Amino acid sequence: MSKVVIEVLYPEFNNLYGDRGNLLYLRRKLELAGAEVELLETSLSDTPAFASRGDVGFLYLGPCTERQQELELEALRPYREALLERMGSDAVTLATGNAFELFGEKILRADPQKSEIRALGFWNTYAERFSRLRYNELCVGECGGIRVTGFKNQLSHSYGETPAPFLTMHTGTGLNPQSRLEGAHSGNFYATYLLGPLLALNPPFAARLLASLCPGAEEVVLPFEQEAYEKRLAELSDPAVNHSKHHS
Amino acid sequence: MGKIRFIFALLAGKLAEWMLRVLTGRGSNTPGVIMLKICPDALARFQMPPTVICVTGTNGKTSTSNLVTNILRSAGKTVVNNSKGSNMAPGLVTALAANCTLGGRVRADAAVLEVDERSSPYLYCHFTPDYLLCTNLFRDSIKRNGHSEFIFDKISGALPAETTLLLNGNDMISGLLGDGKNKQVFYSVERTSRSTETCPNTVCDITACPRCHHRLQYRFFHYHHIGEAYCPSCGFEMPQSRYFASDVDFEAGTFLFHDGGETVTLPFAAGNLFNVFNTTAAAAVCRMAGVPMEQVARGVEDLSARTGRFEDTRAGSLSVVTMLFKNQNPISGSQSLAYLDHIPGHKDVVLIVTDSKDKVHGHEDISWLYDTDFSSLTSPEVGNILIGGTRCSDLALRLVLGGVDQTKLLLYPDYEELARELPERVAAEGTAAIFFELYAMPIANRLKNILVSHFSGKEGGAQ
Repeated sequence: MSKVVIEVLYPEFNNLYGDRGNLLYLRRKLELAGAEVELLETSLSDTPAFASRGDVGFLYLGPCTERQQELELEALRPYREALLERMGSDAVTLATGNAFELFGEKILRADPQKSEIRALGFWNTYAERFSRLRYNELCVGECGGIRVTGFKNQLSHSYGETPAPFLTMHTGTGLNPQSRLEGAHSGNFYATYLLGPLLALNPPFAARLLASLCPGAEEVVLPFEQEAYEKRLAELSDPAVNHSKHHS
Repeated sequence: MGKIRFIFALLAGKLAEWMLRVLTGRGSNTPGVIMLKICPDALARFQMPPTVICVTGTNGKTSTSNLVTNILRSAGKTVVNNSKGSNMAPGLVTALAANCTLGGRVRADAAVLEVDERSSPYLYCHFTPDYLLCTNLFRDSIKRNGHSEFIFDKISGALPAETTLLLNGNDMISGLLGDGKNKQVFYSVERTSRSTETCPNTVCDITACPRCHHRLQYRFFHYHHIGEAYCPSCGFEMPQSRYFASDVDFEAGTFLFHDGGETVTLPFAAGNLFNVFNTTAAAAVCRMAGVPMEQVARGVEDLSARTGRFEDTRAGSLSVVTMLFKNQNPISGSQSLAYLDHIPGHKDVVLIVTDSKDKVHGHEDISWLYDTDFSSLTSPEVGNILIGGTRCSDLALRLVLGGVDQTKLLLYPDYEELARELPERVAAEGTAAIFFELYAMPIANRLKNILVSHFSGKEGGAQ
């Protein structure tokens, strides 16, 4: 019986859009596969477990509001090296929504001066917030032969390129409306603007993460998950669907 | 020039309103749309009544503004409101235009205007409400509203300094509106028999102190983040409420409303705490507008049954309940489903809660399902769970992950098939609860009628 330690960073903030569905899904799958799961919830003022102990198998950062994002960046800055080290290891990390932006060069605020917030600088992208229109998107991308369906809802786009994208988009857009490359991927480190219950929405991608977390574990299929995924994939692959829109 | 344009717009609006009433027998927002095309600043050109009350917030604004209107009318005031139209600029313009002179003077003692939160920047630049009542701020439709900070900023940035705010003292998000800028008055609901020590819901929209960002402590929760919170680190907490509710009796449907030393017993609808908040808020703003306590009590009545959002119909030994479950609004959905916890006996459940116009609106982002509490469906008293609509397999997966027994789930992507099979899937005794999203109200009513017609006259005996 293997044990998997899951750490969720800043759950007091990072829970905007059903993102906890990722943990619900992951935990259920691991437990059905016979693994013991330890869930650690790390608040802004706590020392992250990934930096203080070596057994965090899955690290999760979800999306948050723009003001909270700035607080998180300051909280994470002392642990930049530990994160970088993690990126080069086999441990799995998933950052969704605007958590993607934490790892770029900088974030430009929506004020007239476009004031800058220095980010962790893992790659050369920068995020630019736009005023008061939110950007929504329904999309399908591909990661190593796996189709990933998803949703975006954000107040910023990113520009520049990551060393390797997480997805090449089939429908919807990449880091910004002019790009087809989305997110970042290195080994078992994944960062993406997609948000919500990404793993529950994408059983094939989730299976890949689970295989990394629990090598050799029996693959468990939950009722309804495959049919829900296939239906969504077919619908969102249709170019006729209105994939993106700004909302006031 | 502006005045002439406004009068021209007003004439066009009144003509459109008259024609629509004659031709269709009902109103719409079209007069307001026409007026705003001709005169974009029409809202600034009405001569508003002596009292202008705006009601906004994520949940409860429709019920609350209807209650405010009722109370004011029962106190003998003439009131203009937008209850028959939209809560955005065209709806407000339509309501005001239908009740004003050709010079633009609104013929009423008061205007009670329900306002969509996102519309704040486009409205308060044209007129200044005397009172702005904000019921609460929660996460809402992802697509439209983003997050509560986004909506907070929209309202906050639009507030005229002269407006007095009536705020929910149990809500540490909306309760900070106008902080340091506007006069703030608070209302709240004291601990009830249903209050809990830990958050009873999946979602708690504020767990960190808005001042120092350390973890908040809650003395109690009403639901989600609504409760009594304080920061043990910096000591921050909400100010004392001038108006408050106590002694909430869910069985009798009454509570005590306090204003300083004065107290009155008020009724509330459907044993639902939401309605205690709505009624307290409505009573409080009416007191601020000078309504005597006894008139407040007279004006409070159950409006939920009239709006069709909740109905309970007897059919033989079966109680057929229909209840609104706002699509993409996890708070509304969670609170609607929690109603099941208070119904004894066997319950079969119909869920038509994902977007019934999905194909028209575009594929639905179903993330909100994971913020909604479905634990009421894990009760052994719950029998079949019939899920209708295009996104039924997404909802079924969410329910399985929430611990619902998968063998109880019956999926109907096609509403016609659901309607055909429904009588065979519901027991003749107990409750059939139909939860529906707003656009699915006609489908819900049809399903209700099928059950009522099938089970009326039949007594007992589960099928």
